Amino acid sequence: MPCIEIKNLNFTYSKKTPYEKRALKDINLTVDEGEFIGLVGATGSGKSTLIQHLNGLIKVQDKKQSSVAVNGMSATDKKTLKRLRFEVGLVFQYPEYQLFGDTVAKDVAFGPKNMKLEADEVDRRVRRALEVVGLEYDKFAERSPFDLSGGEKRRVAIAGVIAMQPRVLVLDEPVAGLDPVGRSEILALIKKLQKEISPTVITVSHNMDDMAAMADRIIALKDGEIVADGSPKRVFCNRRLIAEAGLDLPAATRITDTLKARGIDLPSDIVTMDELARELEKLRKRGLLKAERSAESDYFGKAQQDDLSELSGEDDDV
Amino acid sequence: MSLIELKGVSYSYPVKEGYNVKALRNVSLAIDKGEFVALAGMNGSGKSTLAKLLNGLYIPTDGEVLIDGLSTEDDANTFEIRKKAGMVFQNPDNQMVATIIEDDIAFGPENIGIEREDIIRRVDEALEAVGMSEFRRRTASKLSGGQKQRVAIAGVLAMEPQILILDESTSMLDPNGRKEIMDIALKLNKQGITVINITHNMEEAAIASRVIVLRKGRIAMDGTPKEVFASGQLEACGLTLPPVTQLSRALMDVGFEFDGVVTSEQELVEGICRVLK
Amino acid sequence: MFKDVAFGQYYPSNSPVHRLDARVKLLLTLLFVISIFFIKTYFGFMLTLAVLLIVILLARLPIMSVLKSVRGILFIVVFTAVINLFFIKEGEVLVHSGIIMITKTGVHTTVKMVLRLVLLISGASLLSLTTTPVELADGLESLMAPLKLIKVPVRDIAMIMSIALRFIPTLFEETNKVISAQKARGASFDTGSIFARAKALLPVLIPLFVNSFRRADELAFAMDARCYNATDKRTKMKKAKLGIGDLIAFLFIAGYTTVILLDRYYFRTVGIDIDLMIFGDLL
Repeated sequence: MPCIEIKNLNFTYSKKTPYEKRALKDINLTVDEGEFIGLVGATGSGKSTLIQHLNGLIKVQDKKQSSVAVNGMSATDKKTLKRLRFEVGLVFQYPEYQLFGDTVAKDVAFGPKNMKLEADEVDRRVRRALEVVGLEYDKFAERSPFDLSGGEKRRVAIAGVIAMQPRVLVLDEPVAGLDPVGRSEILALIKKLQKEISPTVITVSHNMDDMAAMADRIIALKDGEIVADGSPKRVFCNRRLIAEAGLDLPAATRITDTLKARGIDLPSDIVTMDELARELEKLRKRGLLKAERSAESDYFGKAQQDDLSELSGEDDDV
Repeated sequence: MSLIELKGVSYSYPVKEGYNVKALRNVSLAIDKGEFVALAGMNGSGKSTLAKLLNGLYIPTDGEVLIDGLSTEDDANTFEIRKKAGMVFQNPDNQMVATIIEDDIAFGPENIGIEREDIIRRVDEALEAVGMSEFRRRTASKLSGGQKQRVAIAGVLAMEPQILILDESTSMLDPNGRKEIMDIALKLNKQGITVINITHNMEEAAIASRVIVLRKGRIAMDGTPKEVFASGQLEACGLTLPPVTQLSRALMDVGFEFDGVVTSEQELVEGICRVLK
Repeated sequence: MFKDVAFGQYYPSNSPVHRLDARVKLLLTLLFVISIFFIKTYFGFMLTLAVLLIVILLARLPIMSVLKSVRGILFIVVFTAVINLFFIKEGEVLVHSGIIMITKTGVHTTVKMVLRLVLLISGASLLSLTTTPVELADGLESLMAPLKLIKVPVRDIAMIMSIALRFIPTLFEETNKVISAQKARGASFDTGSIFARAKALLPVLIPLFVNSFRRADELAFAMDARCYNATDKRTKMKKAKLGIGDLIAFLFIAGYTTVILLDRYYFRTVGIDIDLMIFGDLL
């Protein structure tokens, strides 16, 4: 059974007013447990309306036509709606601005308490959540969240969501506004959370490099419609579509295109810098071999042959 | 005389009773007219504090800041300095005072008592410079982050400043917004405005003519982007090389050669083509 | 929860009424509202209704948008109507059964009172429907300008109003965001006792306060950086110019007021009773 199942979902804001805006159009989507999904799209493409349907924050408008269900819990059924909230953990953009507790521990405990768990279970979950996000319990639990650094605040906010131990974790622009160290720490944390707590992850991001490197599957929205859905390689291969959706290509794909335009023979489905480096290395080796076979080898000299043997040596290691 | 001069500047602020944070320690530097400087560092390195010292929003605890020869310490200079050194802040939502865009841009000139006709001319020109003329009568809340920051830049330009300080003005923007702002900064710099871009994004630093890296309130590095990226010290300052530079490094390990440090896609592509063709 | 709170009830359009100078609209609305208090005859009410309909047509407003504002005071209207109808004992008795007694005077008073209230609210709502909050604030500042002479800080008040208006949408957006974020952690705001509900609001109110102070700090920096308070001789880019439309609007409403005053104080004294001419024996 798929983990997330959305059928014919439509949504219109401010219906029947001068401000009416259709935010989602006929969304059909299934997600299996264990997938890491990158949800991309220009500002106003409907990403945040879509993710707020997953935990019932936004109610399904047309209950006859549409359905949203996560792990069998329907968002249109009052009985399962409350449980759905805890099944799908939603980390909003700049989540640190929603902190309110006078201590870190109390803030993180808010979700588990709302789940009506026993006090010792709440405590256990708070400890576990803080530990997973890399904040030592004894050092942070009794501090005020407002005294922490920006990166620490964001960790506390994320801990507050994963303390509910949701099976699906949804993050909206999780690294927005962070410095390079903060960014790579949070990205690594998300991978860790997927392994240890929430097997299914949906990340909304504008950063195609991050998404190409992390996601198993990219879903692109444009004006409320899904315009692309597949592996990063497949989605970014369609250059025209990506441009039409107002999205960027990953830097590696962009550079690949420039190199191809200059006559260098690269595959067109390169999406990460590592891949690009590997492909270029292959080309160079091939070039060297050719050079070696040709009579010009004298000119290139011995140095490059050394290079080559070094390279093949590395290959062996891998 | 340099346009901006810092002489042994320190700045500390109290956080608790009897406990001060030293945000800047004995910083001296000079920036000339027409430079495009990236002021880089991780969060807490003191870069935003330094920015706020440049237009008298903060006054140094020790040392002196001179803008076009005027000391920020003297209250009589405050508004003259703020006219010369305009500043755009981080959060697009927290720096607009008026609802209608043209009203917001007029705020600065109105504050310094410019004549009506002149304000209208300045607002026209400022909107033109950031490409927002068609939006002049719209409300700010309907704009994208990048557009809001362009309006904020226009608000600064309407003061006809010599210096544009971008205090992490792109950090809350998406890649398109970021590019919009950097393109405008480059264009204004070509027209003679000195730009100081406070950032932790090294792709932005790469387009500057000079990069100053702060670490724990001190200047750790000061040079061209190439010099700074070549130093090998960037990681120690909590920063990372731009992706193109990283890629060039990886390629050099497998036998590619580049002319010096690669800081742009173009240099990268040229270098690769030279080897593979 | 706060989703449907509309700030102001401005109905966007580019009609001649929308384009009028806000100061003129403020003053004319005041004149119109005062005039309504001077109405004495059914003719006066009909004239007012006609004026109102003409303005609504010119402003291209859907009639519903005006009626909506009346709906807000429906309870007060019904309440006072009932009081008037059953408690006025003077005049010719129309119905008398048990303790219920309705007189002719009672009916007339009630009908006029209901008309007066409905017209009053409709008239006032036309101002907010056709004028943006910012225009209103600017208009008020300009009308209050003479108060500067008695040391009222009109400029600062206007600045505060303008900033408040500027941040209302931002704060609404933020409130909704915080509410959503806490709901995502299982918070519920509509169950339990009043005390429990009030307590449930803390996770929303605390972040809102903290964020508002942060915003205020940053805004103060941004205003300082743009030389706020640099000089007492602050200038203004926008000088509202009165146009021909403003003159026509003024003549229109002033004409209306004149007729209402004539109807109250003059016509009857020279033997003209328009109500009698129109309705005859009906009254």
